[in-house]
Amino acid sequence: MNWQIVRALIAKDFKLYFRNRFFALITVLALVAYVVIYFVMPSMVDETLEMAVYAPVLPPILEQAGSQGLELVLMESEEQLKEAVIGGEYLAGVVVPPDFMDKLMSGEKGRLDVYFGTDTPEELQDSITVLLEEMAYLQTGQMLSVHVSPEVLGRDMVGIQIPMRDRLLPMLAVIILMMEMLGLASLISSEVVGRTVQALLITPMTIRGLFAAKLIMGVSLAFVQALLFMAVTGGLNQQPLIIIAALLLGAIMVTGIGFLVASGSKEMTTVMAWGFPALIVLSVPAFGVLAPGTVSDWVKAIPSYYLVDAVYQAANFNAGWSDLWNNLLILLGFDIVFVWLGITVLGRKLR
Amino acid sequence: MAGDAIVAEELTYRYGELVAVDHVTFNVAEGEILGFLGPNGAGKTTTVKMLTGQLRPKDGKATLLGMDVAKNVDKVQGEIGVCFEETNLYEQMSAVENLRLFARLFGIGRFDADALLRRVGLGGREKDRVETYSKGMKQRLMVARSLVNRPRVLFLDEPTAGLDPTSSEAIRNIIIEERKRGATVFLTTHDMLEADKLSDRVAFMDQGKIVALDTPHNLKQQYGKRALKAKVSTEKGELEDREVILDTPETSNDIQQLFSQEKVVTVHSEEASLEDIFIEITGRGLQG
Repeated sequence: MNWQIVRALIAKDFKLYFRNRFFALITVLALVAYVVIYFVMPSMVDETLEMAVYAPVLPPILEQAGSQGLELVLMESEEQLKEAVIGGEYLAGVVVPPDFMDKLMSGEKGRLDVYFGTDTPEELQDSITVLLEEMAYLQTGQMLSVHVSPEVLGRDMVGIQIPMRDRLLPMLAVIILMMEMLGLASLISSEVVGRTVQALLITPMTIRGLFAAKLIMGVSLAFVQALLFMAVTGGLNQQPLIIIAALLLGAIMVTGIGFLVASGSKEMTTVMAWGFPALIVLSVPAFGVLAPGTVSDWVKAIPSYYLVDAVYQAANFNAGWSDLWNNLLILLGFDIVFVWLGITVLGRKLR
Repeated sequence: MAGDAIVAEELTYRYGELVAVDHVTFNVAEGEILGFLGPNGAGKTTTVKMLTGQLRPKDGKATLLGMDVAKNVDKVQGEIGVCFEETNLYEQMSAVENLRLFARLFGIGRFDADALLRRVGLGGREKDRVETYSKGMKQRLMVARSLVNRPRVLFLDEPTAGLDPTSSEAIRNIIIEERKRGATVFLTTHDMLEADKLSDRVAFMDQGKIVALDTPHNLKQQYGKRALKAKVSTEKGELEDREVILDTPETSNDIQQLFSQEKVVTVHSEEASLEDIFIEITGRGLQG
């Protein structure tokens, strides 16, 4: 392969990419926007649960509730409590009648009115109800006749939960990579439609040289931006080499997918028509990181899962090579498949 | 005597069932300009694609400068220049950037893009983006791009189509200059006058086959009819056309009759055009 030719093609591609106002603008603005999104997201996780309480006589057990991660805010009246709950200030409000303690002490059944906001999840409603029942038992000295043995499966995240912005980090990095996939696909399809590629292929340049140039251009464009984003947001503070390796493999994968998208496209509209479904599917694993439990094991069939997971584990949990080598290996496998497929399909179209 | 720059032997290409080029055989001598004529769909572009290594023949063989095109595509493409019919320039780059890119692809280290652009009449606009150029300017740049590597064989596909007379003339002059330099020119065109004026020989292609190949003069001798065209004044004072076919046994009588019986206002002789000859051979026009 003639590397002088490949260098000339890469220089030409970068020139064309940044002379396309749309792509030049979207590249810079998107990068800035992603950094801004990261920094405006909460950097801390508030693990306390705020609940409104109206209790003319406050039971002693409720006074100690703060240490349990439950923060009680006393209201001056039942009406004020209801307004606060309806207004969404608190997830729930508890009204403790003045004779509540007396009834409990005399062995009668006490009554607590609990109010929930309309959007309080059912699980949380159940939890608060159970919590209040348990507190009542504690207050009367009648312990539950069961022994509860708590165990956290996986890493115990109590007190060290990952802030939203750090959960977002791999998702934003993956989106940056995939946006460049659209840019590359658009660049290639415009060369096919404009028949400039025909002019290139009539020179001593080979189709292998052409693909080498496109691959290098696509990978570097995607990789450098994702790397820059991770560096600016502090995403490289832990396990930088693993994250760099994962991003590089991710950039190769999206370049291969970009070839495939370009092979089925005639202009910008069809690039979007093919590219966005691909982008949405590849983003799904990132949602699993944002909201654990929303996706099941089938997400592992999506190639970007191994990229998202590697970046997430390395950046947030300091996971090392021994934890992530299989992710990187699978990602490499997907790279080979997508690049080979992309070159085969697009190559046929170019010829 | 110069050798052959292009040799096509039984060159054949099929698109599925359709035979686009059907066992075509011809040669083009070094330094010759061959006009390659035919209606749309005749197989001209497919032939050019096989000669330039863009398509591999299904049958037959194309040889360019002594090299089998199918086996030496890279070497062949280093020796040729191709000007496509449709503009395919990098519009967001300047003329200089376009030419320098192709110079690098041909491995030319020191390349004077400005001189080449001046030669095609684009001096002064060399740094402007191509998207700001007129059609004629783009076409001249296309020709300039095909000359970047000083090709030994130049393929030009409709290089003057849709251009103003000045741009067309500029391109014709470049073709003549290239021939003087020693380049072989394979000129595909619909413009019969252009082909007649520039070509040493012309080939007519129809339905995938070469139906005639000779010098314009010989083709006219063989297939064309010379005529005497006259305008005569009628009794009412109106002008009417008269035609006397030359080179027939009746020619002498017909001319005598014309001058004795009619009031001849103007008279001139007319040769058959290449278009007339194409119609004569194929029974249909070139625009089909």
